[in-house]
Amino acid sequence: MIAEEPRVDAAKVTELAKDLETELARLIVGQQALVRDTVIALIAGGHVLLEGVPGLGKTVLVRSLGHALSMSFSRIQFTPDLMPADIVGTNVIGDEAGRREFHYQPGPIFANLVLADEINRATPKTQSALLEAMQERTVTVGTQTRPLPSPFFVLATQNPIELEGTYPLPEAQLDRFFFKVLVPFPGEKDLLEIARRTTGESTPQLRAVADGDAILAAQRVAREVPIAEHVLLYAARLIGATHPDRTELDGVRRYVRWGASPRGLQTLVLAAKVRALLEGRYNVAFDDLSAVAQPALRHRIFLQFEAEADGMTADRLITDILEHTVKESARA
Amino acid sequence: MSSLEAIIRELGRAAARARGARYAVHALVAALAWVALVLVIARLTPFEGRALVAGIGIPIVLVVALLAWLIRRPTAAVLMRLADFRLGLKERLSTAWERRSESGPMDAIQLRDALRQASGTRLATAFPVRVNRGEASVVAVLAIFSLALALLPNPMDQVLAQRQADRLSQARAAKAVQAAQKKIADSPKPTPVDPQVQKLLQDAAAKIREADSPRKALESITPAEQQLQKLTDPGTPALSSSAQNLANALSATAVGKSAAQAISSSPAQGAQSVRDLASQLQSLSPKDRDELAKALAKAAQQAQNSQMRDSLNKASSSLKSGDTSAAAQSLNDVASQLDSLQQQENTDQAVASAINGLEAARQELAAQADRDATGQGAQANAGASASPGASPGAGASGNGNGNGTGTGNGTGTGTGTGTGTGTGGNGGTGGNGGTGSGTGSGSGVQSTERVYVPGQPVPGQSQNDPTPLGPGQDVPTSPYGQVIQAYQQAALDATDQSLIPGSERDLVRQYFSQLGEQSAAGPK
Repeated sequence: MIAEEPRVDAAKVTELAKDLETELARLIVGQQALVRDTVIALIAGGHVLLEGVPGLGKTVLVRSLGHALSMSFSRIQFTPDLMPADIVGTNVIGDEAGRREFHYQPGPIFANLVLADEINRATPKTQSALLEAMQERTVTVGTQTRPLPSPFFVLATQNPIELEGTYPLPEAQLDRFFFKVLVPFPGEKDLLEIARRTTGESTPQLRAVADGDAILAAQRVAREVPIAEHVLLYAARLIGATHPDRTELDGVRRYVRWGASPRGLQTLVLAAKVRALLEGRYNVAFDDLSAVAQPALRHRIFLQFEAEADGMTADRLITDILEHTVKESARA
Repeated sequence: MSSLEAIIRELGRAAARARGARYAVHALVAALAWVALVLVIARLTPFEGRALVAGIGIPIVLVVALLAWLIRRPTAAVLMRLADFRLGLKERLSTAWERRSESGPMDAIQLRDALRQASGTRLATAFPVRVNRGEASVVAVLAIFSLALALLPNPMDQVLAQRQADRLSQARAAKAVQAAQKKIADSPKPTPVDPQVQKLLQDAAAKIREADSPRKALESITPAEQQLQKLTDPGTPALSSSAQNLANALSATAVGKSAAQAISSSPAQGAQSVRDLASQLQSLSPKDRDELAKALAKAAQQAQNSQMRDSLNKASSSLKSGDTSAAAQSLNDVASQLDSLQQQENTDQAVASAINGLEAARQELAAQADRDATGQGAQANAGASASPGASPGAGASGNGNGNGTGTGNGTGTGTGTGTGTGTGGNGGTGGNGGTGSGTGSGSGVQSTERVYVPGQPVPGQSQNDPTPLGPGQDVPTSPYGQVIQAYQQAALDATDQSLIPGSERDLVRQYFSQLGEQSAAGPK
């Protein structure tokens, strides 16, 4: 029996993603993976932690995304003296009709796209102010809980160097980021292109290719992408393989302190669904899971000190896990 | 949905072909490995029916492969997954198949996408019919190896041939024993020991047939012969001699001539004739009585059997004293003893037939054991293989007391004294066979070697049987020291006869004197 037609044309999601990637590519030179992962997270409705040295275009990417999506955008520069109220807003005394009374002044978190720049420079108290917003998509000030605009998308950045005076994000908060994307240093060809584009008379102006409603619709469609049982099983195995007590891999047993959470599995599957759509496919493939495994899991695998001493990274462990986890079809 | 099923059918056919080829090669490997294994084993140990076993393995392997091919057919889901994997369809087909009964918002478009992608590929290429190169190499190696094993000479063939010959020999030997059984069963003169003889022969035949080798089979013959021998009466020769003496004595009388002829013909007829004579005593003239009394006294004097002697003495004295009734009574006792002699001779005849059957079996088995020993590299033991008596002994003549002219012939086989039976001349029964003697022609017996010769001969044993066995062969033997004296005596007796050329007599004496010197030098 033929199933009913989808409520939203999945092809449009593919088209939207391609348009968005094309538009961002006008300003962001190279970094296709970065752009792709960011778009996947956006359509999946997740938040992204961007990690890279200064000057690689992290902020430009987020700002460009705001322009390309025709959504509200705010930037929060995290500093050690940043207070939670500076993010979520506060009650201030105002004079209305001759009466002085408190009224709520929303913080910069009330935007569709929020850039939390150098998030690891704020104190844990301030960082945790983002927790509720990122997870519940609401903000509670005093006794009142206020919903955040939808879609709500946080892109946080952090610098892997200059760690003095920083506050590493706690595991609970890291887990709330859909993706952790590493921003690589561009190649020589890309550097030349960056120089050409940004040192000329004018810089490209981006056009809006989608709005919030389109993103929300795309998010709904993405969740409807089917995934076969054996593919889902593979995703679950990948997650299980990140746990030292549930894997046969020596590297994981030796270096991993704690593996990915069930939220990691949700992220993996959802991201794979979006990637399938972006690839013009309407089902999740093993390749989709493999492609999104690094950004989805690298911040959810917590390593022992020994790993750092041996130069072992979460990415290398994930590569190892992907190579050794059995796919049902290959074994059949 | 129907398109999905069409895809499944096409994939199923392709998979069946591919698996069929793969399982065929597996079966080929297994079959060749089996054949090679059987051939290797057949080179390490005697393996009868190796061709059959190797041949049986092939259809078994093929059937197993066929069953595996049938049982381990992949499911539709697996076919779809494999097709996805091998055709790069990115799990489209497997997802569509899995969700074929679902009606989610995106299932229809996913199905269309899957069908579109599948239509652009050659589904059969997901399951190509190809042979693994490694497996093909294994097949080639195994085939060459098996062929080489099959074509190159197999040292175990000789062993198998010998076994076959052993079995045939044992079968022939058992048949010879069975023939003796039949002969005894068909005999017109049944004896009380016939059931025992039959049982002994039956057991012996079974043991011969079931023995592992002719040597083992030989071991069962001598005990049977010894048991048979126990069934005979050792007093029979003495009684027979006495009866013959009686016949000789009576033949010189006018009234006893017919009785003498009857006794010579057979003890049973003799008994009847003696009874007739006893009943005629009263009507005899005094002269005839006197003549008969003298003849009876003479016979009593020569009789070796005490009962016979007593009866004859009583008959003689009663006749002399004119007591014809007492004399008749004594003659009736003599007749009873002749009846008894007839019975014993019948028993001996049956036992002799049985032993002849066993001897025929022994000859057959010994010959085969000899061939086996030769075939198994007896050359290595050549220095110790020669044995006294191993060759047919020199013919020895026996003396038979058969109505004066009857002569029993026995041929010594170098195994000691034997008793032969033979039909004497003038219709008389053959007497006891002469003492056989034989000398072995072997040489090279080591000074430290303990020499054995085959066991004691038994009544009725054919004396002209060759004795091909020598030391080291597992046949019942008697210690050399126990028999050498008898051999020597027999041989020396034989040299005294005119049949032996004078030049040979010295040779025989010299031989035994040398043996005596060796015996004196140390125990053999």
